[in-house]
Order: sequence, then C-alpha cells, then structure tokens
Amino acid sequence: MASTACFVIVSKNDIPIYEAEVGSAPKKEDLAHQHQFILHAALDVVQDLAWTTNAMFLRSVDRFSDLVVSVYDSVVHTRFMLLHDSRSDDGIKSFFQEVHELYIKIFLNPLYLPGSRITSSHFDTKVRALARKYL
Amino acid sequence: MDPLRSYLGRLLLEEITPVVMVLTTPLAEAACKKSGLSFVDMLSPFSLFKKIDVPVRTASEVPYRLQMFKIRMVYASDVRKEDYEVADEKIKPVVSEADEKALPDLLSGPPQLEDVLGKPEAELCPLWIKKFNRELMRTLSFSEHETFDHPVACLLVVSSMDKEPISKFVDLFNTNQLPSLLNEGIMDPQILKHYLVLHDQQEGPQDIAVNVLAEMRSTLGSNDCKLLCINSSTEADGSNADNSWLPYKALGLNNHEGTCFLSMDDLNEVLQHLVYIMCVPFPLRFAGGTNAKEGKLCCSVIFLALDHYSSVLPLLIKDFMQDFASNHIIPYMEQKIRVLNQQVATTRKGFRNQIKNLWYTFTSIESQIRVLGDFAFMLRDYELALSNYRLLATDYKLDKAWKRFAGVQEMSGLCYSMLDQSRKDAEYCMENAFSTYLRIGSSGQRSATRCGLWWAEMLKTRGQYREASSVYFRISNEEPSLHSAVLLEQAASCYLLSSPPMLRKYGFHLILAGNSYYMSDQKKHAVRTYRNALFVYKQNPWSYINDHVHFNVGRWYGVLGILDVAIKHLLEVIACSHQSLSTQNMFLNDFFHYVQSMGKKFDVHKLQLPVFNMSSLRVVHEDHRTYASDADVDVSESTWQELEEELIPSSSVVRTNWLDTQPKSSLRKFKDSSVCVAGEAVKVNVELKNPLQIPVDVSGISLICQLSTNLDALSSDVSGLTLDGGKDQVNIEPSVSIFETNADNFIVSQLDIILRGGESKRVQLDVTPKVEGVLKLVGIRWTLSNSVVGYQYFEFDAQKKNKKGKKGRRRPFNNNLVVIKGLPKLSGSIEHMPTKAFAGDLQLLKLNLRNHSEFAVKGIKMKISNPRFLIPGDSSDIGLEFSHCLKKQKQSVVSSKSMKENFKGLLFVFPQDIEIQAGATLSWPIWFHAATPGNVSLYISLYYEMENSSDIKYRTLRMHYSVEVLPSLDISFAISMSSSRLQEYIVRMDVVNKTPSESFVLHQLSCVGSKWAISALTSCSSISSVETVSANQAVSCFFKIKDFEADSCKEAGSGSYRSDIALHPGTSGDVFDVARAPLADFHFQERYRQGKLAKGPCSLLDFVLISKAAGNSSKPSPDLQLLSHHTCHCSARNQSPVWWLMEGPRTITHDFSKSCCEVSIQLVIHNSAEHRSSVRVATFDAMPEKSQTVHPHDSTSVQGGWYDVSLENDIKTISSAKSTHHEKQYSKSISPYVWCSLSSAQIDLQPDSCSRVPLKVCIFAPGTYNFSNYELQWKVHPSKRAQVNEDVNGPSGGGPGHPFYVTVLQSV
Repeated sequence: MASTACFVIVSKNDIPIYEAEVGSAPKKEDLAHQHQFILHAALDVVQDLAWTTNAMFLRSVDRFSDLVVSVYDSVVHTRFMLLHDSRSDDGIKSFFQEVHELYIKIFLNPLYLPGSRITSSHFDTKVRALARKYL
Repeated sequence: MDPLRSYLGRLLLEEITPVVMVLTTPLAEAACKKSGLSFVDMLSPFSLFKKIDVPVRTASEVPYRLQMFKIRMVYASDVRKEDYEVADEKIKPVVSEADEKALPDLLSGPPQLEDVLGKPEAELCPLWIKKFNRELMRTLSFSEHETFDHPVACLLVVSSMDKEPISKFVDLFNTNQLPSLLNEGIMDPQILKHYLVLHDQQEGPQDIAVNVLAEMRSTLGSNDCKLLCINSSTEADGSNADNSWLPYKALGLNNHEGTCFLSMDDLNEVLQHLVYIMCVPFPLRFAGGTNAKEGKLCCSVIFLALDHYSSVLPLLIKDFMQDFASNHIIPYMEQKIRVLNQQVATTRKGFRNQIKNLWYTFTSIESQIRVLGDFAFMLRDYELALSNYRLLATDYKLDKAWKRFAGVQEMSGLCYSMLDQSRKDAEYCMENAFSTYLRIGSSGQRSATRCGLWWAEMLKTRGQYREASSVYFRISNEEPSLHSAVLLEQAASCYLLSSPPMLRKYGFHLILAGNSYYMSDQKKHAVRTYRNALFVYKQNPWSYINDHVHFNVGRWYGVLGILDVAIKHLLEVIACSHQSLSTQNMFLNDFFHYVQSMGKKFDVHKLQLPVFNMSSLRVVHEDHRTYASDADVDVSESTWQELEEELIPSSSVVRTNWLDTQPKSSLRKFKDSSVCVAGEAVKVNVELKNPLQIPVDVSGISLICQLSTNLDALSSDVSGLTLDGGKDQVNIEPSVSIFETNADNFIVSQLDIILRGGESKRVQLDVTPKVEGVLKLVGIRWTLSNSVVGYQYFEFDAQKKNKKGKKGRRRPFNNNLVVIKGLPKLSGSIEHMPTKAFAGDLQLLKLNLRNHSEFAVKGIKMKISNPRFLIPGDSSDIGLEFSHCLKKQKQSVVSSKSMKENFKGLLFVFPQDIEIQAGATLSWPIWFHAATPGNVSLYISLYYEMENSSDIKYRTLRMHYSVEVLPSLDISFAISMSSSRLQEYIVRMDVVNKTPSESFVLHQLSCVGSKWAISALTSCSSISSVETVSANQAVSCFFKIKDFEADSCKEAGSGSYRSDIALHPGTSGDVFDVARAPLADFHFQERYRQGKLAKGPCSLLDFVLISKAAGNSSKPSPDLQLLSHHTCHCSARNQSPVWWLMEGPRTITHDFSKSCCEVSIQLVIHNSAEHRSSVRVATFDAMPEKSQTVHPHDSTSVQGGWYDVSLENDIKTISSAKSTHHEKQYSKSISPYVWCSLSSAQIDLQPDSCSRVPLKVCIFAPGTYNFSNYELQWKVHPSKRAQVNEDVNGPSGGGPGHPFYVTVLQSV
C-alpha cells in the first residue's frame, strides 16, 4: 500500500464530493491542505486532457515533487483523482474501476442528487477497503 | 518575431557582451566622485549603442552590419568569482526593496479574475523580478568554465593631476595587481589596452591635460590614448552639489541596468543626459523609481531640465565610448576571431586531440575554441559560434568534463534559439545542459538555475508558457527559499499567460511562492502573493485550501499590523468544523488575538460563530391567540383551529363596502402583517449551533428591533418594508449601532450561553414592545467571547416567504408586527399534570387560570380535544378529597346529568357568573383518566372575552400536554350463558399485569347500568386470594351476573343483588360509585369509543374494574393511585341471537283415573339480536327418529310413560311413581304425550325482547316426560337499510327443543 494516497471525487463543477486519505502513513493535518492544493491544481491539466482521449483512465496527469496525480474520468465529468506516491499503474486502474462501479450505484440511487456530497458510510468503507487491496 | 528583438535577444545582448576591464588611479576616481559617481558608473550609460551600425566580418568573407552593441565596464577588482553567499546577499535587497513598495497595494482589495487576465505580461512579471533574474545570473559571472566574461579590453584611466601619468599607466597594468583569474592562466592577459586621461576642469586649465595626452601618444601609441574633460560647469558649488546628486545617483544606478525594460526607446539617451545633469548642480530633486511609471515621470522631468542646461559633456563621453567600441573593441574581436578560427581549423584538421585535459588553460585548444565561440556569439555570428560549440561539446563529452560540456550545450541552445532554426535542437540542448548541471551536484546548481532561466525565457519567447513554468518550478527546487519564491512566482505568472490560462496552477504556485517568501522572512511579498491568489480560491468548496489561504493571509496581515483586513480573512476560517481540535484552537486564538489588538469591539456582519440556523427561525407573537407555554406554539395552527371551531365566534365580519366604519379600516391596513400586544413579549425562537469542537462563549444574544410609533407614517411603509424595502434597508445600513437608539419603546432580552463543542441549542429571544406602533424585527446580535459583536439580519423576500409557506410553516414569517394596545391576558396551567401515567389512572387535577391584567375577563369556555382523558369537573368537586368523593354515598344525589349537558360536544362552558377579576386566580377541577396506552397529545383551548375590548373582542388560551400512558392491567372478559337459567351468565375475568414492577390491588368490579347484578360464584367466595396482581402476573376470576330487569321476578332486585362487587375483602363497604361523575362520564366516553370498535351485533354489558396501585414493597404509596378500567360491550360467546327456554311446573300430581292430565307450559323466546326476528315454533307428536335411538335399550322394558332418565343438571327425579299399563298400548313411534293447544306458531320478536308462547300438553299416564318434541326456527330480519346495502339475508337457524322434564304423579 502506498504510504501517501489521497482520493477525491470531484464533481463537474470542481467541487469535491468525496474525500478520503487512504495512505498507510499516519495522517498529518498540515498535509491535508497540501494534498488539496495539488489535486485542485491538477484539475487544470485534467480539463485539457479529458478532451483529447476516449479513455476514462487518464493515468498520471500531473506530479508534484514525488507525488503523482492519477485521474479517472467518470460519468458526466465526475473525476476520480488519486494523489499517490506508489507506481503500480495496474493497481490504480483496478482501484478506479471498482470505485467507478460503487459510484455508479450511488449515482443510480434515486435519493442521491448528482453532484452532491457522498455521505454514504457504506461507500466510504468500501473505498477504503479497495484502497487497501489495490494501492 | 526576430529573436534579436525578443526579450531573450535583448537579454543576451546585454548580458553576454564584451567585458572591458577598467583600471583607474585614485585621483581619477576622485575627480569622478565629485559628481557622486564612480568612473564606471559615469561611463556605463554610454556603453549601450543602439545604432552603432558597424560592419563586421568574422570568419566568412561576407561582412554584415552590427546594429546594437553593448560593452560591459568592470573594475579590475571585480573581475573575480564571487562567493555564492556574498552574491546572494546582493540579491536580497532587490527583493526587499520591492517589498517596501508592495505595502500600499496590500491595503487595497485583492485583484479579481478580470483584473488579472487583462494584465499585460510586463505587469505580471514586474521589473524587479527581471532585475532579480539578472542578478541571479550574474552571481555566476567570471565562472571558470565559460569565457564570455573574460575581458576583451582594458581601459586604463589616469587623472591629469596625477604626477607622471605615463608611469602611472604602467603601474596600473602591473601584473601583480591584476585579477587572479588573469594571473592563474584562466584568462588571457594579452588583451587590448586603451589609455585615457581624465581632466577635471575645476582643478585647472585644459592645457595640462592636453600636454599629458601628447606625451601619452608619443609613448603609448597615438591611437590608444584619449582625453576626457569632466566637471565643466562653472556654476558648480561643491558642497551643495554633493547633496543634490544623491537622489539622481540612486536613480542612475538603478536604471542603468534596467534601461532596456523601459517602454520608451530613447530612454537610454535620456539616461545619458541624466549623467550630465548629475554633473551640474541642479535644484530639482526627485526620487527615482524602478517601475516604468515612475521612470516615465523622471524622463519628463529630465527633458524639462535639458531645455535649461545644455552641455557638451554627455556628447564627449558618448563620442569617446562610440570610438572605443567601434574603432577598437570590435576590430580587435574580429581579428581575434579570424586568428582563432584559423588556429582551430588547422589544429582540428590535423589531429584529434586525444589527450585528456584535466586542467584547461587559455592556451588549451578547447579554451581557444570556446573563446572563439563566445566572441562569435558576442558579435552575433551565431552560425560560427554554434559550429564551434558543437565541436567543443563532443570533446568535453569525451573528456567527461561535464560542467564545461553543459556550459557549451547551454550556449548552443541559445545559438539555436537566436538563429530561430530548430526549436527541437534548442530544447534538446537546454534540457541536456540543465540535467548535466544538476548531475554534477552542488557546484552546478546555480549554473542549472541560470540555464533554466535562459531556457524559460526561450520558451516564453515562443509562447510556450506552460513549459516555461515547469522549468521555473524545476529550478525553484534547487534554490534557497527566497530565490525559489521569486522563481515560483514567475512560474505562476507563466501559468496565467498560457492559453487557456491555468488559473488553479497559477493560484497553487503563488501559494507556494508565498510560503517560500514567508520562510525567507519576506512577509509583505508573502501576503502579496497569497492575496493575488485569492480570487482563484474565492468561494472554493475545497475546505482545506480555503482555510489555509485565508488563515495565512489573515495571520500575515495581522503581523503587518493591518488588523482589519487580517480579521476579515480570519473570519472566513473560524467556523471550520472539518479541522482538528488543535487547528480550530489555533484559528480561534489568532482571531481573538488580533481582535483584542484592535482594542475595540468589532462588529461583524454574518459572523459564522455560532451558526444561526435562520431556517429554524420562528416568531411567536400573541394576538387573540395566546399560549400557555412556548412548546404549545409548535402545534400546527390547523389543529388549534379545528379544536376551536365551535369555541370562538365565527370569523370577524369582513365589511367591504363603503359603509364600513372608519376605525376598523386603520387596523385593516395591517391585515397582512401580524399583530402583537403592547406589554406582551414577542418571542423569537432560533437554533444556534457551534460548529467547532471548542466550547464557545456567546453572550448578549438579543434581537435587533425597530419600533415606529408613528402609525400613519408607517402604514404606507409597511407593505414596502415587507417586500424588498427591507432588504435594501439592510444593505444600506449594515451597522448595528443605529438600532440601539429607541430603547424606550421596547425591551429586548439578553441571553448568555456557552455552547459546548458541536452543540446545538434552541434559544428564545424576547422583545416586549411598550407602546403602540409598528415593531420591526431586524436581526440578531450577539457577542462572541466578549470581544466580537456578530450580527445578522433576517432576510425576507417574497420568494422565500412563499417557499416557507409551502413547507407548512405555521405562519409566513413577517418581520413587521403591529403593536396594539394592551389587553387582558390569562395564563393557565393544569397543576400536576402527569407526563407519565399507567393506563386507567384516574386523577383529580386543578386547572389554574390567572389574570395578569387590570381588567376582568368573562364568558369563559373551554374545549378539550380528547374527553377520554380529560373531563372538567364540577365546581363542587373542588376541595373534595380525592378518591373519597368517588365513593358511594348513602344519599344518592344524581348530579351527573347536569354535567353531561354542560359538556356536550366537548365544549365546556363555565358558569356564566364566573369572572376572573384582575390579578385573581381561578381554580377549576379537572379529571384526568389515562384511557389507553400510548403517547397522547391533549389540546385544551380556553376562550374568554374581555370587557374593554377595542380591536380584539376575545382571546383564546391554548394549552397542550403530552402524556405517555404506560400499559398497566390488561383486562378481558369472557361471558358464557348459563345453560339452565335464561338471564344468568358466568363471567370469567382475566387480568394480566403488564407492568414490569408495579402491582395492583383489585378493588372492585362493577357492571354499568342498573339492570345487572353481579355476584361471586358460591364456590369461590374467598376472592381475597386474588386481591393483588403482581407484576407480570395473570389472574382469572369467575363471577355470575344476572339480568334482573328483564327477569319477571323483580323482587330479587331490591337488596340482595348489587351491580358492584368488592374484590378486596376489607372494603366491601366502601365501593366506588360508577354511576356518578366523573366515572360515569369517562365510562360514557369509553363506551362511545369502544363501541366504534365493537364488531358483534349484540352487546350485553359493560364492566368497570377499579384497582389501586399497591406500590412497590419498599415504599408505601401514601398518595392513593386509583385506576379504572372500562371494558364495554361485552357479550356472551358463541351465542345465537335467538334462544329459548321452556318454563312450567316440574312436578304435577294428577288423578289419571278421572281424566287425562293437561299441563300448561310456556316457551320463553328471547331475541338478543339487534334486529327484528321472526320465530316459528312447531310441535309434533310423532317421536323423532333421534329420540328413539337415544334410548334403544330401555324401550322394551319401558312401562307407561316412565323413562329411564339420566340424572343431569339440576333435575331431581322423583322415582316413586307407579307404572301404568296404558302406555303399553302405544306403539313406539308415538310419543306418550300429545300437544294439545297448537301445532305451530309464528312470532315476531323485536330486538332485545322476550316473548312467551303458551303450550299445552296432554298426558295420559303418570311418569317423567321430556317435552322436547318441538322444533324452533328463527330468522333475523336485518333492517331495511342494511338489507339493501349488504344484500344478504339475516342469519337464520333453528333446532329441536331443549329437554324439559316434567314428572307427573298419580294423585292418591
């Protein structure tokens, strides 16, 4: 498992609708904003990149020192962004794909308003489990 | 774009230019010092030639013309490699100087997106940053691996005052004093020499200098010697001049390096004149500025000055420099290039230098190639330069001289770029150089930085801003924090300039830059960068980013002493619920620290701590509706209205025609707005929440109100205020202070609370208007930790109001309340109203009504929503001892009827003579009975009228109680008919105690109604064994009940039968009277309710079980708790609606010798169905088949009418009868008796009635006879309506007669 990993789902309006620190390293509060900054800045790159490819998995789109941002472009430009320091591309891809399935389930929930924050604890547990499995 | 005209081109032109080493005598320097400048400073402005227009011929035969040219004048002492630390110290002032100028900008608002996008590149990357870049590059000057800093020429300067000037020239170029680089063999000491005599005209006539010059020309060569006269002005006044030159000096020094950035092309010329101005006293003083705007200002001033003073001095210097450059330096370089080229060509062609050089001196072939390349580069023969650099690159690579290799690669990259040929090659070279520099470690770091700066400039020239910014970012990692900050800032601006602008990257890099600035103690720069990034993160949902930016900006503004802005930013972060406890603490502490530093209370609109949930806002004002407690307000208005339907007079008459009386209309104006009463508090309920984990002290929470006493003026205003005027007003008047003025007209409550971490509290705020007028609720004000006053206005707009209405708000929120004159008001409560009770609990409570006003109220009426639970008592009940008053009394005064009349339809009218005087209290008994388990809401509305009423004639007092009723005893009855007696029933009562711990004592069981008598079964008279039902226990008891009203034998009803039975042995005497109020009333209600649920068609009777709580064993219950359980509409099980019984004598004595015996019997038929039924009775003489088979065995032995009857039931057979022979005559199929009166009868029976059918039997012999030889068929006729609806016939049935044995004896 990657020592640092921060997973964020960003709605098409660039609003984070789900955030999770999934790294094995102990969570440091002063890093929380740094992760957000990096992911937020990476959106600039994602925005350009998303239109150049048909693939949903955009691989690593941006980096900041040794941290890499991998992005998966899901339905209606909801973006899964993973900030990580591990290099396993396959693991990240599988992670994204499985999270995508989870997200679709959330998305299909008639009570879920697309673009609103995902508060489901079930989703949270599942994502963290997937992170342990693949990252 | 021509690369030469690009910024990179200008930069290269100015930075990579021939160096002229300057050597001066002290006297010459002193002469220059008079004007406040050093010799180099004096000459430097003239060292840039914009249009030198010199033909140049390098290696190729084709000459070309050089237009722009610059030479660098450097003192010999400066020709050395500087320490990085020293060099870096030089850079610092560049940054901190700009820091000073940033301050006024910081006071203005942060830039917005439009501002930033519209900015030209020059503003994004201000002059000082460019200057910084140059300074950063210059720290590498005279590095050993490059040759373009090697002096091309040497200028020797001697003053005309010097003794023996010729020997001074020789002394100056003494090798011992030359820079070490020349001595160590790194630089070629054989350079062009140029001699200059400096003459100060104030010191003496020019002749001396001319003589010296002549002397020099003869000894040193005529071409290389020059004379320069300075300080020509006669008006000069030494002491005065010194002071006045200082500012110009500063200007000159700053600007001569930055000339090319200034927008005006001829600024250079201006600066040349500027030096002249410095040389003459000039009263004008102006402070120099480094930015373009101030520069322009200076220019205009200078031009103005030039009109008044003209001199030949600048022209002299200019001429000298022009001559020096074009006639000496350039030809010298041309020649050197040609020589070197020749040399290299022969060397390279002959053999490849295979010997690895560890030490390159100027004589080595590599160094010479490098010099050749650099010279060619400086003379802008990039083709030649490039070919040489490429040659070198392979050599150095082979030699693994990586730093030199990188340097050469860097230069080739620049050549490619200037040739504008292959972008790819240029990029490759720069990348290669950059990575090579980085690879060699710390010694190459700064070189890498310089290379990166070139590279970034190159990319910027081509418009590749994104790539440029990543280069800036890469080099920022290699530099100390201050440099890195400036570089990051440039990276940020590149992101902004890229197309499309990458704003998030821009923001992020500015933030990074800001952090670096802060680390290197450049707070103003730090604030500036953060502030510039603010617009990117405006209303950003990325919470941590938001907090970080605002917190740091706020904190740093605070450090700078700009407290108001600091607090404004800190306000954004104090409500950070997502942060950890320590962070929240830090935020809050900083915030309070700066607030306290402000030294005054701080008003904050929409302070986020605590959070007032405005959607939870509820205004409670009492008009004609008043409430007993605040909780009652939450009950929906429709509930109350439904309850009050009959109570209040139908809604006030709406008069719409012109006959309308005048006074009414004044109130009608305020029909839309709510009404409240002067002297009565208007309550506002609002929820506030502490989003933090830290306890928060909130004090002085109060309403902000306005009360306008002028009704007429405001009457027109009211509508305006409610719609949009209110909002405008709020916007115009954001300060709270103006609302504090009119405190005479109303009183507001102040509330202090401490909210624990994450806690939500609902608070109630009051405002009590004192005078009539219009009260406007404006907002809420509170004080946080005694230092910050927060306030928030209520927001109303029409749309919102509608929305709220849809959500089912009780009343649309209206902030304008019309205050009317004071009215009487009753407050009321039910004393000791239980919140928890066991089912069946019966209590006498007291309703207390208090009149607070000075007027009496009358006409009191009351309505109770649930009369199963609450029934108002009689005035006589008051003062009675509870439970005793319920006992059966000897004198049976039946007053319950009157009560029922009063309490018709849930409405209870108090006696007309009751008035509650001012200040008086009325107590009224009220009975409480917990009828069913569950949570029950009880609504009570009290109506009263007042005497002096003007606008409002009546008021209502609304009370609401919730009672939780717990299950106690569960009682069920099973009734079965007695088989022998028509009117008797056996009752089994099952009592289950459902409580977990309570025990109950069964006290009494009563049948309701006078027609029932209840008694214990004789067998179980000792009922005392079941007196107490403990927790979770079940008990069954058996009783016998008898209907003696229907019975013919009325005589029994007098004394021996009772409708009550005491279950407790000791209390047989004192039995409660269920026929009296309130038990009868409650029973009435119960019966009504349970009747709705009852399914059976026929109901028999109702039971009331009265029990007492026994309490736990530990505590005796002094307060007697009485429970009454009502079970209504009990009926016998499996009962057909029609049943019958034969009645008649059981034993008859008859003398059969005389005649046959006639026996009269009666068939009593009872219809217990709810409907009419018809019954047909048919007798038949023939024995039914069945009866034969009943006694087959004894048929033969039968004598006469005797039957062997099994003794059953209560029939006692008299057996001593004689047998007769008559009987033998009859065949077996013929019955021994004959029905004689009728053979069939049809009877109609009304519901619940009896009918008797007389029958006669003729008997011919003594014996025991069973008169069961009849059949009965019945049919219930449902009512006509039911028939239509259900389309079914009523139940019908029938059956053979019941056995009825009669013994007939022969009389003696």
